[in-house]
Amino acid sequence: MTRPGPAHATGADLLALHTLRCIGFASLDRVAAASGLPEAEVESELIDLAVAGLVTRVAGEFGGWGLTEAGRAADAEWIAGELERAGTRAVVAEAYDGFLALNPELLDLCAAWQIRSVDGVASANDHADPAYDARVLDRLTDLDWRVEVACGGLFAAMLRFRRYRARLGDALARARSGALEYVTESTASYHAVWFQLHEDLLATLGIPR
Amino acid sequence: MRWVYSLSPELEEGWDVLGGKAHGLVVLRRLGLPVPPGFVIGTEAGRAFLRHGRLPDGLDDELAAAVAELEATTHRTLGGPERPLAVSVRSGGSVSMPGMMTTILNLGLTAEATAGLAAEAGDPRFARDSRQRLLASFAASTGGEPIPNDAIGQLRLAVAAVFSSWDTPRAATYRELNGIPHDLGTAVTVQAMVFGNRDDHSGAGVAFSRNPNTGRRVPFGEVLFGRQGDDVVSGGSLTRPLHDLADREPAVWAGLLEALRRVEEHHRDACYLEFTFEAGQLWLLQARPGRFAGAAAVRVAVDLADEGVIGRHEALLRISPRHLQLVRVPRIVAVDEADVLARGLGAVPGVAVGRVATTADRAVRMATDGPVILVRPVTSPQDLPGLAAAAGVVTARGGPASHAAVVARAMGKPAVVGAAGLAVDAAGASVRAGGRAIPEGTAIAIDGTGGEVVMGAPRVAMTAADPHLQRLLDWADEVAGGGTGRGDTERLGAAHAVLRPGASIP
Repeated sequence: MTRPGPAHATGADLLALHTLRCIGFASLDRVAAASGLPEAEVESELIDLAVAGLVTRVAGEFGGWGLTEAGRAADAEWIAGELERAGTRAVVAEAYDGFLALNPELLDLCAAWQIRSVDGVASANDHADPAYDARVLDRLTDLDWRVEVACGGLFAAMLRFRRYRARLGDALARARSGALEYVTESTASYHAVWFQLHEDLLATLGIPR
Repeated sequence: MRWVYSLSPELEEGWDVLGGKAHGLVVLRRLGLPVPPGFVIGTEAGRAFLRHGRLPDGLDDELAAAVAELEATTHRTLGGPERPLAVSVRSGGSVSMPGMMTTILNLGLTAEATAGLAAEAGDPRFARDSRQRLLASFAASTGGEPIPNDAIGQLRLAVAAVFSSWDTPRAATYRELNGIPHDLGTAVTVQAMVFGNRDDHSGAGVAFSRNPNTGRRVPFGEVLFGRQGDDVVSGGSLTRPLHDLADREPAVWAGLLEALRRVEEHHRDACYLEFTFEAGQLWLLQARPGRFAGAAAVRVAVDLADEGVIGRHEALLRISPRHLQLVRVPRIVAVDEADVLARGLGAVPGVAVGRVATTADRAVRMATDGPVILVRPVTSPQDLPGLAAAAGVVTARGGPASHAAVVARAMGKPAVVGAAGLAVDAAGASVRAGGRAIPEGTAIAIDGTGGEVVMGAPRVAMTAADPHLQRLLDWADEVAGGGTGRGDTERLGAAHAVLRPGASIP
């Protein structure tokens, strides 16, 4: 999909902060993977943000980086400012409508991937039936095409949203090549990336969940 | 060719033409139960619509005739300024596709008819509420197409919207996943509206003849007073336990018990009903067998055999060995009702015990000191680390396809969703339930089968001690010859092999 003018690029500081806003408390490598920034650059940005009191780091087994209340407020303000400056509110709102139309089907597919009804009894999908898994993945591939149709304008207009296109495509490709955890289980699964996109659309438009 | 059928007890067309919903309504009428009058546009018309992209020739005339007949029966006029008739327009194919298809309620409430309804009921608020629901359901299903202000125009548009909802990508995905042919198409049922939102003696609900979680022979369900039926199933409103009807509307309650009895007798199985009551008059809108699973299915089969409704052999054949796998799940047993904080929908079976955490961050921190139950209004990706650290999860909103349910299933953690009685106050680090404040750190337990959320660490047992299961397996041994040391599945499977030779044993 084409659009006049270059795509809007978000600065690295806001990108690091906003990525944390959308994926929640996370380790450095996850923030880097989600933002598309190199780890060293993300870490440098996060340290600056921590000095400003906008993020904190927690040590330990479940440790990582998280937003402070001030960071959440700053993100809301900055991301709204970016939307106005880039003039992309309409294109985000349109993508959000398209996303909402697809969302129930994605949830259906995730539930079908995990739970299979046999003899009227729902039990965990043990992935022992490749034909069934292939049916789910075929429908997920079809849905993935329709994401492009629904959100293509947004992917063309804003670079940070284009990152979701790449991450969704990557999760689907991995799942199709046999890494089944990339449908619902991994933190980089189709389901996880989908929900981060949902969160991002809500946060960007200032809609409370 | 004939497209339209009047909903009458004598209607002989089968499930394939009428669709499951209308067929169930015909059964209800044959049982002498109250069903709003109406007609069905059969699946042949639905398939013709899908082939040609428009309503088939001749359907207009038949629709007009069917509406005229309905007007004569109800002494009302569709879209008329006085004694207006409003109708519901619902999908219903030969295979159920829950939640996938379009429904339009209160059709015929043109501006004039709404004024007429307000005058007739002496209640403009009720009439406006009903028209608003019509506009909302049209907007949701026709994507902003202008809504005609003539009633027959509305009806044609609604029928076309229901037929085309068969072909939405989500519905196609559902069929693909469930092995349903794409060319079946749907029927459309048009019935005179009954208004659960009419007055203080109106409402809507759903009812099972037996408890779907335990199988116990007690009517079970939920009811909403002063509301239409879609509010009950949408999950957005706080419903009341079904038994509240007994005190508030004794005549409706008595009628409902009689209906449950007759429908159960007809199916010779536990059953499910959707109902509405308008100004104290009960109406049934849908009926089907209960389709219970796990321990509840076992108990119903054993009880029905004891009641003499079915034989022991049929009881054995009704239980798939797969049901037995579900029976052996830990359950909370013998809870004092005072300790029950809330009930939701069991989304992932199993029991989890731990301390309440109301945010993902705190769940992560608290988990270093022992098990935690994450309690949230809903969950989002932000909560993933908290879900990973928690032993189980409860949400106040959401259904079996919600984020919390999907993630908990992936992680194999017990989950209860839609526990509407819970209010989460994350800022105050507490949960409110049943008039109590439960501070973060309080020990609770959840049962992901029955959906209970209870105080403390209650007694937990594998449901294998279930006496009904033991009796069923004894019957299996009588059929197939006993044998020590065999598992439940083998014992039942051996009985199936004797009772149904040639059937494959899973």
